[in-house]
Amino acid sequence: MAEKFLTRLPAEIRPVLDNGVPAVMVTCSADGIPNVTIISQVHYVDDTHAALSFQFFSKTIRNVRENPKAYVMVSDVIGQANWVLELEFQRSETDGPIFDAMDMQIEAIASATGMSGIFKLRAADIYRVLSVEKLSHVARAEA
Amino acid sequence: MADSSHGQDDPAAELARKTAELQVVQRVSSEINTTLDLEEIYDIALRTMDELFEFHHANILLLEPGGETLMVVASRGYENQAIGGRVRIGTGVVGVVAQKRKLLQVSNLGQQRAYAAAQRRQIMKAGRHAELGDTVHVPGLPNAESQIAIPLLIRDELIGVFSIESPVRRTFSEHKRGLVSIVVNQIASAIHNARLYEEQTRTAKALEAANATLEARVAERTVALERELRVAHELLSEARNRVEGPLLGESAAVRALRDAIAREAPRTEPLLLTGPPGAGEDTVAHALHGASRRTGAFIYVSCPELRTHLRPTPPGAGSELPLANKFELAVGGTLFLDAVHELPSSLQPALQQALDRDERSRVNRASPVPDVRVIASTSRDLTRDAQSGRLDPIMRLLLKTRIALPALVDRRDDIPMLVDYFVRRHARQLGKVVDGVSAESMKRLETYMWPGNIRELRTVLERAVLLSKSTVLEIDEELLDEGVAVGSYRLVEPLGAGGMGEVWLARHRLLARPAAVKLIRHDVTGMAHEQLVQRFQREAQVTAGLRSPHTVQLYDFGVNDSGSFYYVMELLDGLDLQRIVTDFGPQPAERVIMLLRQTCRSLAEAHAHGLVHRDIKPANLFVTRLGSEYDYLKVLDFGIVKDQPGQEATLLSSQGITQGTPAFMAPELVFGENRIDGRADLYSLACTAYWALTGQLPFRASTAAQMLLHHAQTPPVPPSEVSELLIPPELESLLMMCLEKNPAKRSASALDLDSRLARVRCEWPWTEDRAREWWEAHAPDIVAGRERVRKAP
Repeated sequence: MAEKFLTRLPAEIRPVLDNGVPAVMVTCSADGIPNVTIISQVHYVDDTHAALSFQFFSKTIRNVRENPKAYVMVSDVIGQANWVLELEFQRSETDGPIFDAMDMQIEAIASATGMSGIFKLRAADIYRVLSVEKLSHVARAEA
Repeated sequence: MADSSHGQDDPAAELARKTAELQVVQRVSSEINTTLDLEEIYDIALRTMDELFEFHHANILLLEPGGETLMVVASRGYENQAIGGRVRIGTGVVGVVAQKRKLLQVSNLGQQRAYAAAQRRQIMKAGRHAELGDTVHVPGLPNAESQIAIPLLIRDELIGVFSIESPVRRTFSEHKRGLVSIVVNQIASAIHNARLYEEQTRTAKALEAANATLEARVAERTVALERELRVAHELLSEARNRVEGPLLGESAAVRALRDAIAREAPRTEPLLLTGPPGAGEDTVAHALHGASRRTGAFIYVSCPELRTHLRPTPPGAGSELPLANKFELAVGGTLFLDAVHELPSSLQPALQQALDRDERSRVNRASPVPDVRVIASTSRDLTRDAQSGRLDPIMRLLLKTRIALPALVDRRDDIPMLVDYFVRRHARQLGKVVDGVSAESMKRLETYMWPGNIRELRTVLERAVLLSKSTVLEIDEELLDEGVAVGSYRLVEPLGAGGMGEVWLARHRLLARPAAVKLIRHDVTGMAHEQLVQRFQREAQVTAGLRSPHTVQLYDFGVNDSGSFYYVMELLDGLDLQRIVTDFGPQPAERVIMLLRQTCRSLAEAHAHGLVHRDIKPANLFVTRLGSEYDYLKVLDFGIVKDQPGQEATLLSSQGITQGTPAFMAPELVFGENRIDGRADLYSLACTAYWALTGQLPFRASTAAQMLLHHAQTPPVPPSEVSELLIPPELESLLMMCLEKNPAKRSASALDLDSRLARVRCEWPWTEDRAREWWEAHAPDIVAGRERVRKAP
């Protein structure tokens, strides 16, 4: 069951975003066909915006370009909760502080795993937060 | 002090935590800036970070030279062995932080790696293996879940990375990130300063080491250069000495010789070198050739060897051939005929012919002859040959131009320089290290007579260098002994120089009997060499013929290897009358009488042989201790004796006159009368007695001429009038009688005077005891035999 329903990102979600990824992202094409995928980063931009990592040309990108709405679920392992963010795509950034911060993390992993140049950040997609819902693991288990 | 990212602390706890953090920051700031030791800084940094963030593992990595890699220099926590591990720039969390120079925090490394691994598998499934690289191991926790890495920057320049890891998921708040940045900045500054200091210290040490090395190399090079310089000097000196050799020195004699060489070298006339054997004639000949700028060869001919090599040839077969060949070889150069007086008679016509032709060519300037400069040498006394008319034509031709080489004893001042030259040269030839000769040896070398001249000096030094086992040469008497050629005697040390020559203490080589050896001086002026030799011979012959115990005894006389005359006399211990009066004042009449009587006995024998001493004076009356007898008188110096009335006094030396003899000279000698007899000696003896009794001469004069005039014209003042001592009237009468201008008014003979003196009465006779007491009081060293005051004849 939902513990909270917010329109802004609360402060407590920041460590969840740091620790909780990879996250599950759900998009839907213009003709209503949904798509679920995993993304490596959900970056806290401010309390009304989050940035998602765009690493691969996939259905997700196509869907978002057709239908800007998306859902992201982040698992809080420590807090034993899932957070569901309702987002709306606004723009893609390929440089700047947001892109750099996200890129560093990805590159740190990629360079150590022999995937430099493949596993990389192509853009930081900026989404506006439409709603935030915190789901308790226990509640979900009960449900 | 771990960050609490979940849940809210109360304000009081938050304040306490921040206060604690601030204290830690202050402490680290204080501690880290008080040291320049890198290890200490690393320790402080790691400890502080642990205290602030409670991590499991932390690394300090520093950029390595080249900027391609970082190396773990300090580690704390789980994996200390990380030290020394390397991370490439751009690889892993630390590598990316170094590349981007920005802080990076990763809180879910496990999931990130798992996600990346999944992606890797997808890529591999898609058959894109080639696009994948190898997984890289980076130092640190293998199961790290959280990691924060902060670049160490100094003015935007990366020096390293500080990395914290934890196996659990952790996150840092903005506050913690700020805090860690502050601490890391301080660590970066401290590391940077310490590294600068370390580098400066290392540079200073390196500079110091380089300086030391440089100084050592400079010192080594200096020594080498000094050695090279010394060798160069020696080579230069050797090159110079090759020309000069025995001509080294600054004595007047050798300077004159060098001047003569410079003067004669450009000329073409035959030249004769005269001098004692071994004086360096071949060196002088070489020097003449070298200075002549003649382009031809220097041909050396040993005339004695020619004699040896000549084989009997039939008449008319051309026995002059060997010499002719030498002339041909010497065209344009110099032909040196060494010891030309020994040229075989069969070759003499050829040489004479060549010399004649050469002279005619020069005089007539016609009939050109081969251009050969003839230089000959001889040690023969040509003066005597010339005076006796026995000079052969060759010598006559050669004698027109002559250079006289000095004997080594006539250039003693040069001996140290010559010694140094010969010692260095021979040591170098033998490969020995010799610094020089000892002071004592040098003194011995300087006082030795060197009958064999420079050749002997060279030989002695060569033997000494050969035998030496030390760097300082010792030249003992034995080495010199072999060169002495003064009869059976070895010269020990000089005793003095008289009017005619040098007097040396000598020792018989077999009997070890001490003696006095007198040699004719080569540098006597005002008397020709021949005249000196004649006088020397006469003195020796006359003295040898006398047997009186009051006449000095002659042991031996002759000519040594260098051509010098010598005679060996008994060595006397005592004082001459001149010194007795000079040092101890006028003597009592009874002693004077006793001495006069002994003199009379010596003169009586000489006069009986028709000999007149002609130089009786205090210095020639030697008072000696003979065994147990004291005041034993010996008459010395029969050098100007005249052997029969009517003979010209040709041997009287001007030097003798100016040196005091005029004070004791009889009037008939002043007038140069032909008829001189023993009464002239009695006049001189009276003058001597006058001096001994009064300490004054019979006449006072400022010049020798005035003195001679007084002897000729002035009556003397009675000695009692000029002396406070008691002079017996009989003695005074006898002296005044002997001082008569007219010889006929003097005592008739020495024996007569002796008997008259014997009759003079003295209140206190001069006894043996008184004589011994006098010697003991005035010359104890002579009495004790501790000092030998010697007088040579």
